[in-house]
Amino acid sequence: MTGIIGGDVHRDANAPLLAGTAQYAADLRRDGEVHVRLVRSPVAHARITGIDVSEAAAHPGVVAVLTADDLPDVRIPIRLPLFETPEANRFLQPPLAREVVRYVGEPIAAVVATDPYLAEDAAELVDIDLDELPPVTGIADAEAAEPIHPAAGTNVVGTVPLRHGDVDAAFAAADIVVRERFRMHRHTAVPMETRGLLAEVDEITDRLTLWGGAKVKHSVRQALAGMLGIDAERIRVAEVNVGGGFGVRGETYPEDFLVAFLALRLRRPVKWVEDRAEHFVATNHAREQEHELEIAATADGRLLAFRDRAVADHGGYVRSQGILPELLPAQQIAGPYRWEAFAVEATGVITNRTPVGTYRGPGMTEVTFVRERLLDMLAARVGADPAELRRRNLIPPEAMPFTFAMDEGSAVPGLTYESGDYPAALDALLDAAGYDGLRREVAERRAGGECAGIGLAAYIEIGAIGPFEEARVVPDRAGGFTVHVATGSLGQGAETVFAQIVADALRVRVEDVRVDFSDTDEIPMGFGAFASRSTPIAGNAALLAARDLRAKAAEALGADPDDVEFGAGLVRAGGASLPVGKVGEGRARFDKPHPTFSFGGALSLVTVDRATGRVRVQRHVVMHDVGRAVNPALVRGQLAGAASQGIGGALLEELLYDAQGQPLSTTFGDYRMPTASELPEIEVVVVEHRPPESNPLGAKGAGEAGMVATPAAVANAVADALGLEVTRLPLTPDRVRSLLRDAGR
Amino acid sequence: MKPPPFAYARAATLDEALALVAEAGDEAKFLAGGQSLLPLLAYRLARPTHLVDIGRLPGLDRIEPAGGGLTIGGLVRHADLERSAALTGPWRAIREAAAQIGHLPIRVRGTFGGSIAHADPAAELPVVATALDAVFVLRSVTGTRTVPAADLFTGPFMTVIEPPEALVEIGFPAPPPGLRSVFEEFTARSGDFALASAAAAVAPGDDGSARHVRIALGSVGPVPVRAHDAEASLEGAALTPDTVAAAARLAADGIEPGEDAFARPAFRRDLVAALVGRALTRLMNEGDRG
Repeated sequence: MTGIIGGDVHRDANAPLLAGTAQYAADLRRDGEVHVRLVRSPVAHARITGIDVSEAAAHPGVVAVLTADDLPDVRIPIRLPLFETPEANRFLQPPLAREVVRYVGEPIAAVVATDPYLAEDAAELVDIDLDELPPVTGIADAEAAEPIHPAAGTNVVGTVPLRHGDVDAAFAAADIVVRERFRMHRHTAVPMETRGLLAEVDEITDRLTLWGGAKVKHSVRQALAGMLGIDAERIRVAEVNVGGGFGVRGETYPEDFLVAFLALRLRRPVKWVEDRAEHFVATNHAREQEHELEIAATADGRLLAFRDRAVADHGGYVRSQGILPELLPAQQIAGPYRWEAFAVEATGVITNRTPVGTYRGPGMTEVTFVRERLLDMLAARVGADPAELRRRNLIPPEAMPFTFAMDEGSAVPGLTYESGDYPAALDALLDAAGYDGLRREVAERRAGGECAGIGLAAYIEIGAIGPFEEARVVPDRAGGFTVHVATGSLGQGAETVFAQIVADALRVRVEDVRVDFSDTDEIPMGFGAFASRSTPIAGNAALLAARDLRAKAAEALGADPDDVEFGAGLVRAGGASLPVGKVGEGRARFDKPHPTFSFGGALSLVTVDRATGRVRVQRHVVMHDVGRAVNPALVRGQLAGAASQGIGGALLEELLYDAQGQPLSTTFGDYRMPTASELPEIEVVVVEHRPPESNPLGAKGAGEAGMVATPAAVANAVADALGLEVTRLPLTPDRVRSLLRDAGR
Repeated sequence: MKPPPFAYARAATLDEALALVAEAGDEAKFLAGGQSLLPLLAYRLARPTHLVDIGRLPGLDRIEPAGGGLTIGGLVRHADLERSAALTGPWRAIREAAAQIGHLPIRVRGTFGGSIAHADPAAELPVVATALDAVFVLRSVTGTRTVPAADLFTGPFMTVIEPPEALVEIGFPAPPPGLRSVFEEFTARSGDFALASAAAAVAPGDDGSARHVRIALGSVGPVPVRAHDAEASLEGAALTPDTVAAAARLAADGIEPGEDAFARPAFRRDLVAALVGRALTRLMNEGDRG
């Protein structure tokens, strides 16, 4: 069965998604279910002086109305120690607002009724008295403003410092220093399916099942156990079909606790389906940060050092991903270049807006925009071609594995890039794009009066974060196998990838392998589907579990593992055979103490309509080193999908607020995601540079990669087309026109 | 995003519909294509007590010549306008505007009358109706009255249509010989509401100069506006790149758009200049072909 890995195997397991038979959270029905509607804050910052629920409680169909007084005094915890600091824990969110509301959309009360329409009618009747406080509506105002969480005494969540080498000496030795302020705007993932949850208590076992889990089911279970004060074993978090995750779906949100709590309290199935208006204020926002970056270089464009001071917004609370908004950019701004020294100070702040979390390519997308924009400015200063400037400074393959050792006091001890041939990969991108020819073409088009430009960007992606995943490969009597993993199915096609990995290892057909992510009962521990880790971490675990099954069969047959054949419910070696059921199941755990850093890049060709400011991306090429592509078609799909979202973020999507902290982008009319009409055919270059043997599958992450350099490449292309500097996104027609107008054009 | 309670009735005839709405009182609304009303209900921005469904009423779905002019039934769908062979020459702007409304599923359901009565300042058809001097026929149980486009729109999402009245027909007067019209808009994405739009019409004078110049602008204020200064600058003049550019500039300078975080006033002026310029340039370049 060679060729299973590396083959474009079709996603047969996902046929229900196309056939309309998939079951999403909203499709689930339980007898006697009741529906939750949340009453959310209409203002950005206020003291709650009174809540009268009597009218709502008397409304037809209403089963219960809860406020914070009806709940235990709990907060939504940060889900991994790595993301957590004592300081960050001062800003955690209660499931329903206690005393103060800190963003528009914050849940204040939960109305439960027998019908979702009645619940929404009754929710309007909850009478809340609010004494408004001045809102903090921007990063710039946060530090000096009155503390939004008075007990913390500050709006600063913390500062992540990183320091490598002698920065001052490197700047003193530099011929050129370029510096600029950049701003990445607030935007986020907007999956086609909104969030949805259904919780039910089994009266016989007294166990709670929460359907609608995704991404990090085991973390949600752990968080709920702590908040509800019950054993994690009494909670089952189960996955159903999902209409897109992208990082925002599946974290522990206020609603997860409320639905579970209400099911336990009411002893009835409790359902909540987020509507789109809620989604825009309730689901994690992302990305907003400001950077002041300076780069020191030699006159011929050799990079020496950089200093970055960054401020990242958390919104009204620190959510389940803790300090990632400041930690991730700090870890990734160095990128793929051979700096002698650098210093980063990234600060997280609280403002009166929807809390933030990770969105596909978190931190890295922001800093790639910041760094790669300034590198283009440097290239212009030293008169180098942007591609040549980057090529000259990439970490060379002979330096691999490459480590930036950090000074004492840094947030992490060091960054180690395991493998890769960055210059060769960059050349693969440039070749695929036809870079030299493209430069000539653009020059000709400009001579003909067109406003066209090329943008290039390179990045390092932190992915495949551990610490570990477990897998089980369980044979059934009919000759098939079920793989249990604890990550999740978010539409990536992960079912097919895991089936390929196990089928290849067992030398059976892909269609004989079923993959089950569905529930926390099947795997006791796991970390989930994020950080492009499913294939490199859980995929390796599945591979090792299949090898374990093969080894057990070999032992039972007294044969060499490599001689064992699986088929028709039997294991065979030589003349001997056994029913596969006698062998038991394969089990393994794959540990990955350090993340895998992977390299990639993007190149964009844009035109700008000078009169209206409209940017059109005519070509967009993304390249990424995936180590080894288990299913190249899926890798290309992941890269193209992520790049499409990246173009949306670069040109269209923005979560705007007014000066009172009211969100302005709460419909699809105002939060403009790109449609097929706004997107070019994304060109994908898959590079496979196998990592060391410690990663037996050889896979690096692929889920986020297409995003990371896309906004940077588009921004660089627009700057190239306009001959003007771009320091903030998105490049909406209005913003492009104002750049041109300011330049007198 | 679930509507508050309302009563629903589907009428079989126009008279029945008018009677039902009159009976139901001030908070009753007609439901036609539902492409604007249903989202308003979902957001609870509209709270009608009754919906009277006129979507399938017979007789209001025709596009017909009338005394040298044109009448269009209030229930004609945008997709029908978009595909109508009758909408050429003087009426071409209607077809061009309809083709740019939303996406195809929206155009298949949405109606001309509904778009006018909803009076979204960013909508396409009110702008064309303004440029082509449309006359709206309003009918209720107590009678019929007509209102010219210039008087219909009173503010964003506001018209002089009173609750028991239905907008049953849109009439366009006989155009001067040789009138041609075009429509241009700018949207952030395909299918979006316009950030600015322009409908323009000119007829050739005996000497080849421009006569009966009409320029209407959308999405630049609470209601569609005519660019009177720009029109006047072209009336009796030849369309040339210079006169077109000057008229475009006048149109842009003449608007007073409000503050909007997604499209600031200076940007809307830039758009109006570009769109009026493009509309007039098309009319100029086609002039020879009549």
